[in-house]
Amino acid sequence: MRIKDSNKHAIIIIAGILIVVILVFLDLRGNKGTDYSNLTQEEISVALEKEINDMEINTVASLNERDRIEYYVAKFVEAIEEKDYEKAYDMLYDDFKENYFPTLSSFEEYAESKFSKVLSLDHTNFERNGDYYILWITMSDPLSGKNSGKDINFVVRENALNDFDLSFSVI
Amino acid sequence: MNFIEFRLKFRRWFRKYRNLILLLFLIWLSIFLINYFLKHKPIEKAPTTTYEAHKSVIDSTSSVPKSLQNTIEEMLEEYIGYCNEGNYQKAFNMLSEDCRKYEYNNNVEKFMDHVLVKMPVPKHYSIQDYSNTMYDGKDIYVYEVKYTDDLLATGLTNSTYAFTSEKIAFYREDSEVLMNVGEYIYHTDVKSISENEYLKIDVIDKMVNYDSEVYEVKLTNRSNYTVVVADGIETEEVVLVLPSETRNRTSISDIVLEPQQSQTLKFKFTKYVDDGDKSQSLLFSSIRVMEKYSGVEDIPTSTIQSEIDNAISKFSMTVALK
Repeated sequence: MRIKDSNKHAIIIIAGILIVVILVFLDLRGNKGTDYSNLTQEEISVALEKEINDMEINTVASLNERDRIEYYVAKFVEAIEEKDYEKAYDMLYDDFKENYFPTLSSFEEYAESKFSKVLSLDHTNFERNGDYYILWITMSDPLSGKNSGKDINFVVRENALNDFDLSFSVI
Repeated sequence: MNFIEFRLKFRRWFRKYRNLILLLFLIWLSIFLINYFLKHKPIEKAPTTTYEAHKSVIDSTSSVPKSLQNTIEEMLEEYIGYCNEGNYQKAFNMLSEDCRKYEYNNNVEKFMDHVLVKMPVPKHYSIQDYSNTMYDGKDIYVYEVKYTDDLLATGLTNSTYAFTSEKIAFYREDSEVLMNVGEYIYHTDVKSISENEYLKIDVIDKMVNYDSEVYEVKLTNRSNYTVVVADGIETEEVVLVLPSETRNRTSISDIVLEPQQSQTLKFKFTKYVDDGDKSQSLLFSSIRVMEKYSGVEDIPTSTIQSEIDNAISKFSMTVALK
């Protein structure tokens, strides 16, 4: 059977449009997200946490090596600013915690006394030694003027995207 | 215009421009598909880093063969583990026979001194392939190993960032992977002689470290006069000759041979094993056979010059290096 040229064109266009429609449909189905209606409160928290973590991983994956490490430090500092000390404490390396902050309350006490409510970070140096990253940072309180800066070191080891261990020079 | 007229017009327009329409449609479809697949391409979940432990720093196109990488990592882990435990004999036994013999004189205590300089307390370490070179048809992989305190456990509290480091070389011999530490790379017998009626110079052997070459040389004064090989009067009295330059000894000391005296000395020259230059000879450029020699320290220049002027003979000698 011979198909006319004009029909051939139409068939190609229709087939193409069909492919597009199918792909868009699949895409919409895929993006529907989690159905929370049948989940318990606890399951919702876990699912939300996972979604947030996935989003964060996607964000972190797009960063280069140095930006990623600085992002982890910023995340720690942000937790301190938000007074979410448990979250910040969880980011610390186990041996470091054992050495300097054996309990969450000892870390909380330290953070309350040493870190101001708003923190500004000025990265002065960055070095990698094997799988450790060493950062030199001047940490200051922008509300307290120019002389509030404290020099502090952070040491970071990245285990996987958004999975890291961190420590800092206790001042 | 009724529907039939519109249909006919559209059909005519479509027939007229069908090729162009198809082309534009296909272009759009291609863009859509590429975009779709890129959007759904799985994101690389492993962090990308610039750290490539087995790629040479000196020449980024050169790296250690995959088949050796694990072995090297395991050997280093074992070796540094023994050092950290203070089990120096076991660490020493891991070194190549040549390294034990020529670098440490088969003396584990000498090796221990080296370890204690690099790792006075248990250390963490990181490795980096530094340079890959060849000797005697063998590939030699030189790693830089940095030793630090457990930085993550201290966060550099009350301390500054510091490390010790050394070059550790690996090579294959009879399907076995051998390890040299303390910058030692290899040793070779030179056995090259240059002589005349006054002096015999016998270059016995050469020890190659990552950043230096050390020659063991026996000098024999055959005459009944004092032979001065080096006393600082000239600037380049003993040099290593390379294809396009010469290198002075790293430590300058006087070499004066009494009549019929022999001395065995070590001459060290700065030379990187991976610089691509081949050492050609040792040049002794201002040898003097002196009838009278008072030395040079606290001696008036006029006396020194007068003694040189009255020298029995002045010459230079070159010993070729194989």
